[in-house]
Amino acid sequence: MIELLAITDDPVAPPPPLRLVPAGPVAVVVGPAPEGEVDAEALWDRESLLEDLMDERALLPIRYGTRVEDDAAAAAAVVPRGAELAAALERVRGAVEVSVRAIAPEGEEAGDVGAVHARLSGLAREHARHDGPEPLRAAYLVDRAGVDVFVAAVRELQQEHRGLSILCTGPWPPYSFAEPR
Amino acid sequence: MSKTSQAIAEREVALVDLVDRLLGGGVVIAGEITLAVADVDLVHVSLRALVSSVEKARPQEP
Repeated sequence: MIELLAITDDPVAPPPPLRLVPAGPVAVVVGPAPEGEVDAEALWDRESLLEDLMDERALLPIRYGTRVEDDAAAAAAVVPRGAELAAALERVRGAVEVSVRAIAPEGEEAGDVGAVHARLSGLAREHARHDGPEPLRAAYLVDRAGVDVFVAAVRELQQEHRGLSILCTGPWPPYSFAEPR
Repeated sequence: MSKTSQAIAEREVALVDLVDRLLGGGVVIAGEITLAVADVDLVHVSLRALVSSVEKARPQEP
């Protein structure tokens, strides 16, 4: 079994043991499927691999845990969606994902998370708001060159909205912008 | 929060965000998906730890 890690259109081979399997207009980054129990450390190791790849090329992460029998099966699974995935790569090229959550301590007003989301959306190429236990759980697709400005805006918003704890992480590969919405 | 507990809280925040993305994000491609149930528990455990550390970090009102 091999694990499918990411879709890219960069022809440069990734560092071993990762390999590139051509699939129509795009290619799949594959690696040996890990065995045994998954712990937090294993998840971080996988994330570092993807982040290193992302530094050098545009990519779409593939849903965690996706495995197929061999290279032929990998190509067969991806080729039918080749054109769509090539378009998705264009959407994310030159951008990274930044995660923002706003947490309101129990018993307090959630504050104006709408204003927070509106300000940050204005600094992003695209945005995706998810349901969650927090008043705001969102992902923003931000130009690499705009990340510093985005983070500075998060700091300012935290100063303006003292009732909220605004938690910002990233830059992540574009997990939340990999599928057409 | 001390510097150490701050670092731990930040890693917990990032772990929640990572697990969220791994399980709910990315391109969905036909294939066998292997997911350990422990991963899902991880999210809830981390989020609880995170919320409590945020509450602890707030200054006490006089």
